[in-house]
Amino acid sequence: MSGTAERQPMLQVTNLKKYFPIKTGVFSRTTGYVKAVDDVSFDIYPGETFALVGESGCGKSTTGRTILRLQNATGGQVIFKGEDVYAATGDRMRVLRKDMQIVFQDPYSALNPRMTIGAAIREIMRVHGMATGNELHEKAERVLETCGLQRHHASRYPHEFSGGQRQRVVIARALALNPSLIVADEPISALDVSIQSQIINLLEDLQDEFDLTFLFISHDLSVVKHMAERVGVMYLGKLVEVAGKRELYENPLHPYSQALLSAIPVSDPARRQERIILKGDVPSPANPPSGCPFHTRCPYAMDVCRSVVPRLRRTDSGRHVACHLIHPPEQHNGDLSTVETRIAH
Amino acid sequence: METNEIPGTGTQSRGYEEAEIPAVDLEDDVSTGTVAPRRRRGVSEWHQVGKHLLRNRGAVIGLLIIGIFVIGAVFAPVLTTHNPIQNNLTMRLQSPSTTHWLGTDALGRDLYSRMLYGSRISLNIGLISVVIGVAVGVPIGAISGFYGGKLDIFTQRIIDIMIAFPGILLAIIVVTVLGVGVQNVMIATGIASVPIYARLVRGSVLAAKEQSYVEAARAAGLGDASIVFRHILPNCLAPIIVQSTFQIATSILWAAGLGFLGLGAQAPMPEWGAILSDGRAYIRTAHHLTTYPGLAILFMVLGFNLLGDGLRDALDPRSRGN
Repeated sequence: MSGTAERQPMLQVTNLKKYFPIKTGVFSRTTGYVKAVDDVSFDIYPGETFALVGESGCGKSTTGRTILRLQNATGGQVIFKGEDVYAATGDRMRVLRKDMQIVFQDPYSALNPRMTIGAAIREIMRVHGMATGNELHEKAERVLETCGLQRHHASRYPHEFSGGQRQRVVIARALALNPSLIVADEPISALDVSIQSQIINLLEDLQDEFDLTFLFISHDLSVVKHMAERVGVMYLGKLVEVAGKRELYENPLHPYSQALLSAIPVSDPARRQERIILKGDVPSPANPPSGCPFHTRCPYAMDVCRSVVPRLRRTDSGRHVACHLIHPPEQHNGDLSTVETRIAH
Repeated sequence: METNEIPGTGTQSRGYEEAEIPAVDLEDDVSTGTVAPRRRRGVSEWHQVGKHLLRNRGAVIGLLIIGIFVIGAVFAPVLTTHNPIQNNLTMRLQSPSTTHWLGTDALGRDLYSRMLYGSRISLNIGLISVVIGVAVGVPIGAISGFYGGKLDIFTQRIIDIMIAFPGILLAIIVVTVLGVGVQNVMIATGIASVPIYARLVRGSVLAAKEQSYVEAARAAGLGDASIVFRHILPNCLAPIIVQSTFQIATSILWAAGLGFLGLGAQAPMPEWGAILSDGRAYIRTAHHLTTYPGLAILFMVLGFNLLGDGLRDALDPRSRGN
């Protein structure tokens, strides 16, 4: 944490929001919003792996997509290398896109079944004017090789590959544009366990070789522990804790992080700790609870949690947590802050 | 990187450190399970579709029927025995014989020769109307599905109105507006099939644009045009091809219907529907004038429908199996 603090962040996400309208009835009136991403802020520093973890449906994938502007954000700001992603248009946006790539979860739907993988990689290189003619073929084959495939695979169609090989192709396609940031959206969850480790190793090798920065989205805490340097924990569209990997895994501060981490199986019986079982289900993001989104399941919920939304604040140790237990709402101007932060509805 | 502190128990074990399997070992781990020769060209999907199609008995019969009609149409000048529009009033309403294989009509014209030339007209109408339907309907459907929003709602309501009319009625309306004649029948049946293509393609585009490869293309900075033409439409081809096969049959049927009603080909053009209509008056004395054109229409439509069924199965990766 201390090492990264002095550097300029590569990606700054500020108050990012993505609401999906709920439309009902014949005239498709908007009757409400699903707050898939609600007021999420974090920074990613060059060369690091920042992981977003949380249950499925908590908005981590949507966060990744809105950062790349594959879906437009409802509000907030995304600054990539000092440039506002949402202010860029036309050619400028194309240049930005070249520098931020994505690796998808499902390698089966991520490749166009009617294109050879070589054609798919050459197409995107050609769009960015990276090469022409023989040089283009050469470059495309070289990037396949870098990702552990063979040169002659370029003339094959996606259906001729296994899941793990397809994911290598997807990574090769992302790498083809020489990006500096790669959003890896659950890159191994759709793969067999035996293949997962190969893909993880590949990602790590590529990170070393090409000085890549990863936004690693996953629900698999042991993979995140292996890959990430810093981790953001998401719950119901909100970031509840951001901390260095070591601090988070050794001492999670937010009650949700504690529950999440207690779910990792521990082999050493001496170290085995009590598993925190959360009661109830995740509330619907269409109708989130007032106050802290976690208060309905939190074992330590207090009165203030039901009315006041806790903000993500820095602790003394340099971590960020959104919890009233860690940052008690200030007594003297408590009324004021309650009014300020109470959820609108 | 610190080593995994949680080695995990049983199934949870991941062991990232020891799993450095070189990619070469993955070489032949393709989904088909076959061992790939070193320098093999990629097997295109069309190859497999063709193989599967030829294994389908119905599709082969359909192809044979269509093939016979196509050969008859292409080589009509060589294969015919008489001039199809030459009257011969001394030989009126002859039954099938060795000189007139399928008999003669009320004006003494050779029915066999007329039918061969008629297959030219029918096949032309079928193909050209489908070309018109595809050329107009596919772009409308693609734009409507890809951009969505108000444009989509607007086009789809117009398509709804067009679909509310039965195709043959729509074709009659268009012919009435444009005037009778074979060319106008092609245009009319083409226009009548536009809503079918627009609806079909819109649905396929809606499904295809949600695929991650479309998102990947967007993330790579590709423009809308290349996304639609290179990534979305090629993946909507299967339903378009299947629909076109059926649509050729439908158009031939519509054209015969229009010919029967006197709205299509005009005398003395040997169009099947018109031959059928002319022969109707003599159905008790010279039934061959209605039987043979009726059978010809039946078999041509059957041929295209059998082929369409076979194509639908062959193009569907799930029914193709393996």
